[in-house]
Amino acid sequence: MKEKSPNQQPGQRPDLQNWEDAINALLDGELDDQAAESLKAAASDDRALARAIIEAYQLQQALARIPMERAPASLRRKLADIPHVQRRKHRPFWFQPAFVTALAAVPLIIIAVALLGPQQPTSRDPTAAELKQAQQELAVAFGYLEKVGRKTSLEIGRTVNEEMQQSINENMIHTIQDQMEFNKERSA
Amino acid sequence: MEYQDQAWSLARYLLKDAAEAEDVCQEAFVKLWNHQDSIDRDKVKAWLMKVTRNGCLDRLRRRKPSEELGEWHAAATSDEPQYGAEHQELGRWLQQAINRLGEPYRSLVVLRDLQQNSYEEVADALELSLAQVKVYLHRARKQLREDLAEVRP
Repeated sequence: MKEKSPNQQPGQRPDLQNWEDAINALLDGELDDQAAESLKAAASDDRALARAIIEAYQLQQALARIPMERAPASLRRKLADIPHVQRRKHRPFWFQPAFVTALAAVPLIIIAVALLGPQQPTSRDPTAAELKQAQQELAVAFGYLEKVGRKTSLEIGRTVNEEMQQSINENMIHTIQDQMEFNKERSA
Repeated sequence: MEYQDQAWSLARYLLKDAAEAEDVCQEAFVKLWNHQDSIDRDKVKAWLMKVTRNGCLDRLRRRKPSEELGEWHAAATSDEPQYGAEHQELGRWLQQAINRLGEPYRSLVVLRDLQQNSYEEVADALELSLAQVKVYLHRARKQLREDLAEVRP
């Protein structure tokens, strides 16, 4: 559809055109008392002017009554996600979820290799002090792992849904539990 | 998120396409987020409306003439019980009349007469002087009034 720009109608009465600013000022509440009285007096003698004022008022009322369409739910969701998405985009790489996950995996791999790897023949059995030291180190490693795992799941939970977060937590807990059970069996 | 309905409404009137309007609004709010430290708190709404409108105008410029979309009007619903069928019909007709206006008249009517923003906010959003806003808005209202007179008994 071709757009059209508002233009003065050819043939419109020039005196009515002169009142246009006053009519708009009246609608905007910007007409002072003296000017308002002048307009009122002129309108009482001029049916065209009176009609123009009434039509302008009716238009203003009709425009104000048009309801504003609410933004759709899909847009609201996108807008609500902006802070999370933008924060994640501008975060240093060492805070990126992928990096934190990788960091969390490092001690896990070390522990797994140490505990599950092929048993090397040793020239002697570990002493009680060495076993105690190893258990303490393992406890520290598990504590660290749990802390990092919690942080990782929080980071991911901000960007994905709660279901994913729960799944990661459960996996992490299972991994830690398995390792602890294995450690107990070994100690026994 | 404040002002999302205003930005959406403006984009809908300018683009007449829901998907494009949604994209423009999202882009505008991302820009707002990224520039939040440099924007005067009192002028956030005007800034947002300006960015939304500029996004719409960019898209309109990229559109081919054959892509001109048909009439669009928002769902003429209201919580007001007195908003009867006659008013709804008049509202729909007015929305079509607004859609026929060119720029900046259409934006002026939407921002001032539909959304009830102040003249200062409208001037900031459209990067016009107060005097220009008043002159252009008067022309737009006059055009609508004349269109309205044609269909009224």
